[in-house]
Amino acid sequence: MNQSPFFIEIDTFSRMKEGEPICGDCFVTKKVKTEQRMVIVLSDGLGSGVKANVLGSMTASMAANFIVQHEPVQRTATAIMKTLPVDSERQMSYATFTIIDIRHDGETHIVEYGNPRCEIIGIDGVRTPERKKVYVDEFADESRVMFTFSFKAKKEDRIVFYSDGVTQAGMGSLNYPFGWEEGGVRTYLMNHLKDTPQISARDLVRKVVSHAVAKDYFAPKDDISCGVVYFRKPRKMLICTGPPYHNEDDARMADLLNRFDGKKVICGGTTARIVSRELNRDVKVGMVSEGGLPPSSKIEGFDLVTEGILTLGRVTKLLDELNSTTINGDGPAVEMIRQFFESDEIKFLVGTKINEAHQDPNLPVELEIRRNVVKKIVRLLEEKFFKEVTIQYI
Amino acid sequence: MSKKVQVKICFGTHCYVMGGSHLEMLEESLPAELKDYVEVSGSPCFGHCEEKTAGTPPFVEVNGTIIEKANIELIINYIREVLADGIRE
Ligand code: FES
Repeated sequence: MNQSPFFIEIDTFSRMKEGEPICGDCFVTKKVKTEQRMVIVLSDGLGSGVKANVLGSMTASMAANFIVQHEPVQRTATAIMKTLPVDSERQMSYATFTIIDIRHDGETHIVEYGNPRCEIIGIDGVRTPERKKVYVDEFADESRVMFTFSFKAKKEDRIVFYSDGVTQAGMGSLNYPFGWEEGGVRTYLMNHLKDTPQISARDLVRKVVSHAVAKDYFAPKDDISCGVVYFRKPRKMLICTGPPYHNEDDARMADLLNRFDGKKVICGGTTARIVSRELNRDVKVGMVSEGGLPPSSKIEGFDLVTEGILTLGRVTKLLDELNSTTINGDGPAVEMIRQFFESDEIKFLVGTKINEAHQDPNLPVELEIRRNVVKKIVRLLEEKFFKEVTIQYI
Repeated sequence: MSKKVQVKICFGTHCYVMGGSHLEMLEESLPAELKDYVEVSGSPCFGHCEEKTAGTPPFVEVNGTIIEKANIELIINYIREVLADGIRE
């Protein structure tokens, strides 16, 4: 999505109902690279627990697949209803959904069925595009009606969507007899955005969910989920790893780093040495290794300086295992992943000189080729975490 | 003696996998009588691992002199030598 006027940051977060092993609220996000589109679906399966999860995840993935294929919403909805297994107690099959279909230029279509309405919030406040009623099928009564609407997103717009666990949070309590309710959530969002207008989607979803969880006295009575789409100015990051093929390019590499406007990360001892020499800045290395990796260092003006190939290997493994942008722990690899998650556009500057010493068969571990590890990381960042990534070899 | 003995441990990839990871314990392992005379710091790859003549990693530099196949005992012995030389001078 290079020509896009903004970066589209998407994040989602859920907390399960107290005592349930699995969440009944399900998110599916699909990126259609060829069309420069993104489709995000939130579905809330009837009830909670495993049954709800089956309903929710089926609905979310079917809806996403149908909409990606440009199927009309009505046909999508009918297909879902027909496919869902029928609940034996309630003799019905039911899962709600919110479908958000975004083009890279901001053109957005939204379908809501059964979930609380989503909020569209821009710099100048809440936007309320006109919603159109669409019946699920010709036999549908007023309870089986979907709402659709479209709008063109502008920079700094946000779409906030959530499950009814959020609006019903705190229900029955003295302060919130009817729960947090849509109005309450809206006021909260407005206040919050006034205080922190730049808050990332990642932080905002967590804020909303934890606020709702607190209203339920920290024992959620239902699955609580929130998703945010944020049309933002891209946050950029440059990560430089490996010495340039020609020594003459050392200065150019250091200069590229030095002039870059955004986060700067160096990954590799030799690379750090080159940068330190070229820019005439000291490298200070910590003394304690964390998580079995060599300690990170400090060079003035850089956000993170780590060892190379071992750290990259660990980053690959962690990214592969992660299922959300929540990451715990410390150490250089975790720190690097945090830097990735806080960036939208990531550029790898990869030096192609081969470290001959790494090919030594006497090494107790096999060291991977830098290029290959970088490629794996790039693929994970693009496909799993929807980052815009570019690689430049030097 | 005014100047402390400077010990730099390489935390580059090669040295680290060749046993250098243990050297972070050096500071704690220093005998009490040496503690005040030694300053330990880390370093990214010295570059010695790519010079065939420098020897076998892990490398440590003590006052600028390269020690190859470094381990804690070796380093401590070397520090003792340097200090003894210093006193003799
Ligand atoms: S890794 Fe220690 S000298 Fe290169």
